[in-house]
Amino acid sequence: MAGVANENVVFFGHLSELYQLAKEGKIETKLQGSHTRPCKFWTAMKILSGIKNTVVIAHGPSGCAFGVKQAYKLTNCRNSGSPYESIITTNIDEKAIVYGGEKELKGAILEVDKKYKPDVIFVATSCATGIIGDYVDAIVNKIKPKINAEIVAIHCEGFAGEYRSGFDLVFRQIVQLMDKPDSESRSRLANSVNIVGGKMGPERTEIETDVKELRRLIESMGANVNAVIAGNCSLEEVKQAPSVAVNCTLCLDLGYAIGREMLDQFNTPLNSTILPYGISATERWLREAAKHLHLENEAEELIKREYEAISVEFEEAKKYLAGKLAIVEGHDAIKSLSIAHMLERDFDMRAVIYNFHPWSTQARETSIDYLLETGLDPEILITKGTLAFGKYEAMVQTENELMEYLGDLNPETTVYFGSSMSFPNIPVVDLNAILNRPRFGYRGALKVAKCICTALEYSFRPRSWVTKKMVFPEDSGLCSAQSLTPKLAQDLPDCTVYAGRERGKCMMS
Amino acid sequence: MYDELKFDNCNHSKDPMVGCALEGATGVLAGIKDISIVIHSPQGCSSTVSAAYDVHEIDFTKRKVACTRLFETDVVMGASSKLKNLIKEADSKFKTKAIFVVGTCAADIIGEDIEGLCRNIQPQINAKLIPLMAGGFRGNLYDGIELGLNALFPFIKKQNEKIPCSVNLIAPQANLNPTWWADLEWVRETLEKIGIKVQAVLPHDTSLEELDNAGLASANILLSHDAGYEFGLKMKEVHDIPLILSDIPLPIGLKNTARWLRAVGNYFGVEEKVEAIIKDGEDLAIDVLRRRGLMMIPRYRNCRVAVSADATMGIGLTRMLFEELEMIPELLLFRSPVSDSQLLLENELTDMGISPKVVFSADGYQIKQSLMESCVDAVFGSSWEYYLAEELGIKFVFDVFNPTNRQNYLNRAYFGYEGMLNFLENVANDWERALRSKHIDWEEYS
Repeated sequence: MAGVANENVVFFGHLSELYQLAKEGKIETKLQGSHTRPCKFWTAMKILSGIKNTVVIAHGPSGCAFGVKQAYKLTNCRNSGSPYESIITTNIDEKAIVYGGEKELKGAILEVDKKYKPDVIFVATSCATGIIGDYVDAIVNKIKPKINAEIVAIHCEGFAGEYRSGFDLVFRQIVQLMDKPDSESRSRLANSVNIVGGKMGPERTEIETDVKELRRLIESMGANVNAVIAGNCSLEEVKQAPSVAVNCTLCLDLGYAIGREMLDQFNTPLNSTILPYGISATERWLREAAKHLHLENEAEELIKREYEAISVEFEEAKKYLAGKLAIVEGHDAIKSLSIAHMLERDFDMRAVIYNFHPWSTQARETSIDYLLETGLDPEILITKGTLAFGKYEAMVQTENELMEYLGDLNPETTVYFGSSMSFPNIPVVDLNAILNRPRFGYRGALKVAKCICTALEYSFRPRSWVTKKMVFPEDSGLCSAQSLTPKLAQDLPDCTVYAGRERGKCMMS
Repeated sequence: MYDELKFDNCNHSKDPMVGCALEGATGVLAGIKDISIVIHSPQGCSSTVSAAYDVHEIDFTKRKVACTRLFETDVVMGASSKLKNLIKEADSKFKTKAIFVVGTCAADIIGEDIEGLCRNIQPQINAKLIPLMAGGFRGNLYDGIELGLNALFPFIKKQNEKIPCSVNLIAPQANLNPTWWADLEWVRETLEKIGIKVQAVLPHDTSLEELDNAGLASANILLSHDAGYEFGLKMKEVHDIPLILSDIPLPIGLKNTARWLRAVGNYFGVEEKVEAIIKDGEDLAIDVLRRRGLMMIPRYRNCRVAVSADATMGIGLTRMLFEELEMIPELLLFRSPVSDSQLLLENELTDMGISPKVVFSADGYQIKQSLMESCVDAVFGSSWEYYLAEELGIKFVFDVFNPTNRQNYLNRAYFGYEGMLNFLENVANDWERALRSKHIDWEEYS
């Protein structure tokens, strides 16, 4: 392959080798100072924003509450027609920093209970109150009998862990709200599943999302979805969640925390597999769910039906794709690994993941362990730009290194799976583009196949010089199209999560 | 004068409508060219810095921000060597003339001596290092703007001479117009037309050289009624530059624009030039509205309205709505405490002879309660108010302020004569959309 041995390559090999190097400390696994992710507070809030009729009290200065309110709550209003929702701050000031903010917190809890009458109050700590050591748990426990709402403390100070730890923490805490199953509840929900690992809130109704596709598949098998946790679920749904037949992960990485906790605490079975991109991953996901629902025959019929519905087009596309090379952008570790899995298993393509930051090997350790166990071990290419000071996701250096790596690869036999904000001289398939959904399930597999075919079919068209100049202007130095702080927007139907100043402002614009 | 509303259950819990001091402070820094920011904080605070850059709509190619990404061990053990290394790295990679080293809540509380560290490391660094403690607990967005403005003093050279007919423009970003830089541009162009030079904008797209020469200006004009007042007073104290025009509304609507222009004219002795601008501007606005906006007379007359804004927009707008459109401002909701502009607001309301209900530092809950308990027909606000009012069944919501649901590809001022037309155009379009019947019982017509 052209350029592989060039001086800009930091690593080129299989995921398992990278994993080993990272464990031995032989490759940089720290994010650079210019690479930030949302902090633990932000990720915790993203999950909490997916539970209806709850109020979060962010115990700290106003900025933490305001930031997430503008990003998540306003997005929910804009994208999903949600009514206006608050996030409350105790508005800690200098005096409270010196003398403690416990009085403010007590007052805020009582006020919120009276004026909002929520089902649940979540008290979320911030850096400021975490450092001064306000005894939040004691306050919460003491005040419980005095209020009508349920109340849960969430210790999600921004400094208290890597960004994904906020997801895990909240998912584990949500389990505290659940009722222990009994025979009545188990029998009532014997034909139901939870989809776990959701976040934010309701989805746009006009878009064929991945969650909707999973729901459709479950229902087509003859089962029901009790709740998407935490994707616009109610307290009642959460309470009865442990009684379902099985928890199915929406995202292996995010859903595992709550699924594991529910398995340990309530013995609720867990169907935790790779993201259901493509046919083989979807089959595994469905069969595992069906086992616990005792709907194995129905699942097989569904698998057959779903495949038949796409088979002609899919097989046609596959013929066209087999043997081709796919370069997969690795910014989102789990998604890129799942896409690589789909391309290799379903399309007989060769996948190379590019720009996969070694930091992901630690941040996503659980998932990567699982994927390696399943035999998935794709090739990974890391160039210097990924580890450089800048924004590796779309900076000039990584773009140039990608071009160098691609060298004289034939655009008729190579496809780039990544952001359309990247401009390699080969066809680009952007699975985060709003209309390229659903990506899960059989319909998703067909959608992906069609996207690839379309990209190849139109490979004669040069990329727009206008959009290229928008993303990579002259003298852009360390620029990145993702210099606006990513808020994990890729998970949303149209990457408009950082809904700050204008509606529809793409995070990357 | 006004009836200030009070609320139960709001002493300890706030549903914030503005960000914290960090956003305000870095929102000032983001207006300066050729600087970078090293933020000493957990990584989430870098989102706030991004929001600050968004305020100036600075594109991704010009943002130079690095974050120390503090974790638990750093909080316990301190993280000065981490900060030192990052400053060195930022200096060699960003190659800017100055680096602002900003401490947020975590660094601020654990007592990181950013000032001492910057002093010690300065000889090894090419960029000028400016320490700034801006923990969110130091106040709200507007307090942060004052903090950020104060951090500019080291860049402003003491000057004995002043350039006649020259001004600095202060805090243009403390303004809820979604494209506020168009307001700044209107001010700049208008001043230039009457022979007044803008020495420096403090700050928006401002070079370090412009900052250096800001001390040469013969007057300072504040473009906000929410922030920058203290800085303006301190500029008088330190650089002997008077703060002018802070006691009248900003140029919103015909009368306020004329007042503002005449005040400038009187101060600089260019009355005649100003009168010509006023005449041309009023002719333009009235001629356009005669042809395109006649319907607004029966539409808006005696319509009871709420204005949910900042003081910068809200104070000026109240007079325009009341006197020029004949609306009735029933409810004024200010996101800021309006601390330095309360007297101006009182004078304006007394002069107009109206006593609306008023809320200062209004949060989401208070806005909703106030709207629920009022009997307004329409609300001027942002997308927040749009959703709140929709829920309450208020039919007319004018989405004119930040954050907005409007797409603006071209900048549109609200200041001045064309600014008034821009504003009214938005209002007129929202009015039309609100009257599009969506629930027709067609069977009734069959």
